[in-house]
Amino acid sequence: MMLINWEHELDRVGHRVILSGLPIAMHCHHYNINLQKMLEDTIGETGVRLLFEAAEEVSFYGLTSFLSHYSRIKTIKSKLEVASTIYQNCGLGVMHFQKIGNRGGTIVSPSSHHVTGWLAKHGKRETPGCHFARGWVAGVLEAVYNHPLHHFAVEELACKMMRHDECKFLVKER
Amino acid sequence: MAIDGSKIIHAVMEGSRIRDAKGIIPLFGVYLSLFFVQYYNKLSFDFENEMGRERQSESAALLVEAAQECGYATFHGIRTSREWEELVRPMIELKEDQIFSFAAVAVAFGWGDLDVREIIPKEKLVIRVSDSYEATGYLHLRGLANSGKCYMLRGVSGAFMDLLYGEDYPDGCFTFRTEEPFCRAKGDSYCEFIARKTSFKRRA
Repeated sequence: MMLINWEHELDRVGHRVILSGLPIAMHCHHYNINLQKMLEDTIGETGVRLLFEAAEEVSFYGLTSFLSHYSRIKTIKSKLEVASTIYQNCGLGVMHFQKIGNRGGTIVSPSSHHVTGWLAKHGKRETPGCHFARGWVAGVLEAVYNHPLHHFAVEELACKMMRHDECKFLVKER
Repeated sequence: MAIDGSKIIHAVMEGSRIRDAKGIIPLFGVYLSLFFVQYYNKLSFDFENEMGRERQSESAALLVEAAQECGYATFHGIRTSREWEELVRPMIELKEDQIFSFAAVAVAFGWGDLDVREIIPKEKLVIRVSDSYEATGYLHLRGLANSGKCYMLRGVSGAFMDLLYGEDYPDGCFTFRTEEPFCRAKGDSYCEFIARKTSFKRRA
């Protein structure tokens, strides 16, 4: 079922690229991975937190804005489907919301931009590295379930950057 | 000028709508992502904030370096891609036309309205931007700045020159260094980036 009109949602206004009324930028894996590595190398866990929080806050407001244009999308299932479609259409990867509810659950991602980019630039990691995806998941679920920002904590139980078969995220209430 | 930026913008917009079954957008030789500029602004300026005033110049240098190394790899990938060969190469008459093409790609990516004002081959590049998302973001998130805040565009401007006049890829990165004497984030009416050759090159 086609829930959104992507041709309409992704547009240009002069030199700006707009997604559902908000300005976006296209960046490649070199920049996204460079930023992540620089933050981790320079300020460690604080950098990891910044990556998580930026993705969480922006995905929260981004999805909220998106859904405000589609009042007919009412069910949780439909909203999660839209979120997953946006993730894929933005080139961020594939995210399966299968075992998730109002209080948390588990999510699986078989592929992502950050995994592909990290492995291409730096090879295998020794620790989970999908900080962007964790933040994105938290923000999206907070928007879908009408929770405030920072309601969810997201832990990465398995990570393809460590050569696991898939990335697996555990979502819990804080 | 031989470069038709609108063709490049059209190609990027069309290409950005095509992703594979894994949700990856391979375009112009790189993996592309689309995300809100607010993410990049929050990340950069929160990082700067965490580093504190004492380490302000270090945080700025790290953000510029991350962008310059990225710009160097990205635009090398772009100019060796099939899309470049088919679409852009036929428009290039002079070596410096590559800079105009790089700028058109950056506009297509939503980085701002890059306007190449001056190129002195092997020496200097001047790019002016009246709507950089970084300057807009800083003003929105932090208010008026006391220094230039367009770290990504600073790094990328240097990378453009590195690719044209530095040693062959991958040894030419950081041959040029960019300053931002004017920035809307500090109250100027536009942002300006001036890349000049450095007297010594740091290792990438």
